[in-house]
Amino acid sequence: MIQEFTNTDDILKFAINREQESIDLYSGLAGQAKNPEMKKVFASFADEERGHKKRLENIQVSGQFKFNESQIRDIKVGDYLIDVEPHAGMTYQEALIIAMKKEKAAFKLYSNLAAKVEDPLLKSIFESLAQEESKHKLRFELEYDEVVLKDN
Amino acid sequence: MKLKDIITPFSAWSNIVKKPVTIKDPLNERPGADRYRGFHKNDVEACIGCGTCEAACENQAIDMVPVDGIETTKEDSGLRPLVDYGRCCWCALCVDVCTTDSLTMSNEYTWVSDNPDDFRYIPGVDKKPWDNSEKGWKKPDYSLYDPKRVDMEEIEPDDRISNFIEIVKGYSKEQAEKEADRCVSCGLCIATCPAHMDIPGYIKSIRDGDMEKGLQLLYDTNPLPEICGRVCTHRCEEVCSIGVKGDALAIRWLKRYIADNVPFEDYKRILGLDSLPENDKHIAIIGAGPSGISAAYYLRTLGYRVTVFEGKAKPGGATMYGIPKYRLPMEMLEQEIGLLEEMGVVFQFNTMVGREIKFTEVYTAYDAVFMGVGYEKPYLIAIDGEDAEGSIQAIDFLRDVNENKKPDLGHHVAVIGGGNVAMDAARVSRRFGAEVTVLYRRRIVDMPSDPEEIEGAEHEKVHLEPQAIPTRIIKDENGKVKGIEYLKAEMVADSKGGRPKPVAIEGSETILNVSTVIGAIGQEGYFEFLGTEFLEKLEMNRGKVITKENMETTIPRLFAGGDTVNKTADAISAIADGHKAAKGIDELLQANK
Amino acid sequence: MNKNNHKFKIEPDRSSYPQPDENGNLQIDLSSGKFVKVWHGPNHPGVTGNMSLELTLSGDEVVEAKTHVGYLHRGFEKLFERRTWMQCFPTVVRMCVPEPDSNEYNLAASMEELSGIEVPEYAQWMRMLVLEMARIGNLLRLLPAHAGTMGLGLGVQWGVYLRDLILDRFEELTGARIYHMFIIPGGVRGKLPEGFKDRLLSNLKDIDDFLLRFKRLAIDNAVFKKRAIGTGVVPPEWVDKFGVVGPNARAAGYRRDVRLDTPYLLYDQLDFECYVDENAASDVYSRTWVRYMDLKYTVDMIRQILDKMPEDGEILARIPNAMHWKVPAGETYVRSESSRGEYGFYVASDGSEFPRRIQLRGPSFNHALSLLEKMLVNANIADVSAIMVSLATCPPEIER
Repeated sequence: MIQEFTNTDDILKFAINREQESIDLYSGLAGQAKNPEMKKVFASFADEERGHKKRLENIQVSGQFKFNESQIRDIKVGDYLIDVEPHAGMTYQEALIIAMKKEKAAFKLYSNLAAKVEDPLLKSIFESLAQEESKHKLRFELEYDEVVLKDN
Repeated sequence: MKLKDIITPFSAWSNIVKKPVTIKDPLNERPGADRYRGFHKNDVEACIGCGTCEAACENQAIDMVPVDGIETTKEDSGLRPLVDYGRCCWCALCVDVCTTDSLTMSNEYTWVSDNPDDFRYIPGVDKKPWDNSEKGWKKPDYSLYDPKRVDMEEIEPDDRISNFIEIVKGYSKEQAEKEADRCVSCGLCIATCPAHMDIPGYIKSIRDGDMEKGLQLLYDTNPLPEICGRVCTHRCEEVCSIGVKGDALAIRWLKRYIADNVPFEDYKRILGLDSLPENDKHIAIIGAGPSGISAAYYLRTLGYRVTVFEGKAKPGGATMYGIPKYRLPMEMLEQEIGLLEEMGVVFQFNTMVGREIKFTEVYTAYDAVFMGVGYEKPYLIAIDGEDAEGSIQAIDFLRDVNENKKPDLGHHVAVIGGGNVAMDAARVSRRFGAEVTVLYRRRIVDMPSDPEEIEGAEHEKVHLEPQAIPTRIIKDENGKVKGIEYLKAEMVADSKGGRPKPVAIEGSETILNVSTVIGAIGQEGYFEFLGTEFLEKLEMNRGKVITKENMETTIPRLFAGGDTVNKTADAISAIADGHKAAKGIDELLQANK
Repeated sequence: MNKNNHKFKIEPDRSSYPQPDENGNLQIDLSSGKFVKVWHGPNHPGVTGNMSLELTLSGDEVVEAKTHVGYLHRGFEKLFERRTWMQCFPTVVRMCVPEPDSNEYNLAASMEELSGIEVPEYAQWMRMLVLEMARIGNLLRLLPAHAGTMGLGLGVQWGVYLRDLILDRFEELTGARIYHMFIIPGGVRGKLPEGFKDRLLSNLKDIDDFLLRFKRLAIDNAVFKKRAIGTGVVPPEWVDKFGVVGPNARAAGYRRDVRLDTPYLLYDQLDFECYVDENAASDVYSRTWVRYMDLKYTVDMIRQILDKMPEDGEILARIPNAMHWKVPAGETYVRSESSRGEYGFYVASDGSEFPRRIQLRGPSFNHALSLLEKMLVNANIADVSAIMVSLATCPPEIER
């Protein structure tokens, strides 16, 4: 995925596309899932991604780039877990692992991009996006920590 | 008559030149003594509203009343004492029996008001000028009830490590009566117990030496007292008002004492099970765990015909297959089931719904169905190498051991997790001679396991390694477990106020050479047996079945309870669910009649 | 008839007074117009407490007296049956207002005896201190009242002032002035406050001084002597017949003191003697003198207690839970020496959380109810109060 970023708009488009990919993925999983509860889980994940996308689109329209600058704590819950291949009979635990891994990958992608670009403005935008993804990841990690790792 | 006798009385005239003595005058206030028993003060923050003051008051001058801004919680009734000074005799017994030492008295004894209602007030809530006064009566340096718990005798760690003999010996008559004497009957425990057992009631029956009454009280809300008397998570003891300043009552051991000290042959007579009502309704129970047994018992006492389907060969569910015998001897369970069979409950063992018999058949053939299937499916640790030979799940391991299979653990076992299951797995592993290390992500204080279990594990030389996050299981060339790698963790405060989160410290990798890894991080429910049609109708939230107040699920006539429904996921909550479901089923079928 | 040892003996003409019949009962015909019925009490400054004397007078002489109680009945003994054992502890004190501590001690001692509880030594010394202080407090009220009923009010003022100082000490030690509620079953409710000993000793010095002054004022007073000597005699042979106890019996020459006869607490470790009137005069004057000496001895006893008691120690034995103390089934009679004499509790337990019976046997029951009726016959109406006060009657302990 080699792409040249020359302005803010490019970046936003790229980010919005990525969110759309996530929405598609979760919606697909929701359709596949056998268990009605898991259907709802994935549908809710997709909804969350829609929210993220909406936010980026608003920025695109207004041109106002205001992200939380504070560093989001990485509690690294997902870091050492094995990858899960999506399948129809997935459990809540597996769904959370997929979501955590996905957000982590997005965070890494934006961080790398931020490191590569020279323009300070673009750099800060990538960093903000990375933080935003990190926040999403934290949300799933906290859920995993509370539900799956209750006894651990 | 002597002249002297006429003259001497005039010596009193000498007082004319003496300064008069004035003890009190209206302009100068005379403070009460430091220890004076004046108007009450109450530290409402420390007060837990146990109502012991109210019970102690001989004049019924104290009423426990709700107060705005004080919420009812598990440890706090939300009530505070209101004192009526038209009744109070200032004896301060209320102060001396206060379980939290929050109630005291000021040394203020004059207070004028033209409104008689002013003399009924809630100390500490209705502000008074003496609220901050340091002086006045406080509880003397004594206790009107024993703050120390009667120690439970246990088999010494060295003697128990090689066998599965029950560790806890149980109270003797003297010990039980001494322990029962400590109770102040405040009833905070009743509110907290998931089954709302009449704890002060059965403790009183121990004091009265009336075991039959005690047993009846136990069975009113709990048909498995032998089990709960041994392995209950005893949330009641956490809120015991005596526990605020002293040791909490050993409620669990007292329950066990009653259950153990009534001859089992007498149960039927005492509980009045000899002649039960009969009706033509037939209820199916799926799963013979605590919730199922509880539902079966109460449904049968209401006159229903009950059939219990159990996939395994023996009843008891998690209590039979999950709890090691040194905590819960198996005879206890078998005894209990025997009672149910005598009552006419039909058990079909080795009959798993969804395997031997279809759920739809059960659902159509019976008037109502109760589902108490429990948590059967373990959460995976989900790290690399978990598929290695020698990497096993605690619930499988514990079941095998209880079925008298001898596991091959090797020299060193790593147990992952910090709940009761993890402690059971660790302590059972010790009994097979292995070194045991428990790896837990958080601190020891965060462990969800009962403190007694952690202590027991430590006595049995189980090594606890807190703040350790496993990252991968290392296999040897044959695919067998060779070791486990973990990272040390630092604790990070949760911004939302939850428990602190462990965060792995990069570069702190430690490798432990182990031969077996036992995962015990938790379990979840498994509902595939319902079949797609029903599964789609069954509403759930985060793995928990959603039920109405009467335990009915979103599928009509299907009731559920136990681990798959309640948040606490322990035996007593399951028993409470079963009882509630039995009432729910009864109400439903009575309404449909 | 009881003025036999009066120096100036006059044999009056008694022909106009009612004459006894063959059984010795006086022939009183109220319709003859010769007699006047007077109700002396229940609210009368000369009567101790709420009881009433129905007097039949012939001139100024009492020819017949009946005692009436019932004005003060609060049903305590019944109330105890509905209270837990510990809840009785704040209630018993009300059975004798001026000296409530004997009640506390008797209840505590009976519960401890039936439950087999050993009270810590320090608590026993504390109990003795409190009981003796209570005796002083009551005697300071009683002793001057002997003269007070005959019109000498000054001594009463002195006494009440000193009693107030003792009540100050009680307030410091027990947290209350009147109903101390200090001798809790199992022990006591506190230790000596800082500086308490010195303050009490200084009060005792004041009482020494008072004793001296009171002797000059009243005891050696010619008028008091004239009225008190030979008035209200209890013939020694009546002592056992009517069950007279304590100071009243000692005035009649009997050595009756529970502390000496059957020592309780640690009284056997104290060096003391009770005053007995060797002449067995047994009149108002003699009883005044016995009380005077009692006060003197008690002051000395408190000094001994303060001297001998340990500095510190346990205040409460390990008792069963106060909320539902079950006293083992059984019965007992415990007694202690109050300022008025033997003060007894009959206590029966059926082994439950509630007493089956707590019955008070107070000295006033005999003194005021039956003995007084006999003593007042032939007494002068002006001496009725003096006779009654000299018996130290306390109606609350008659009506429980």
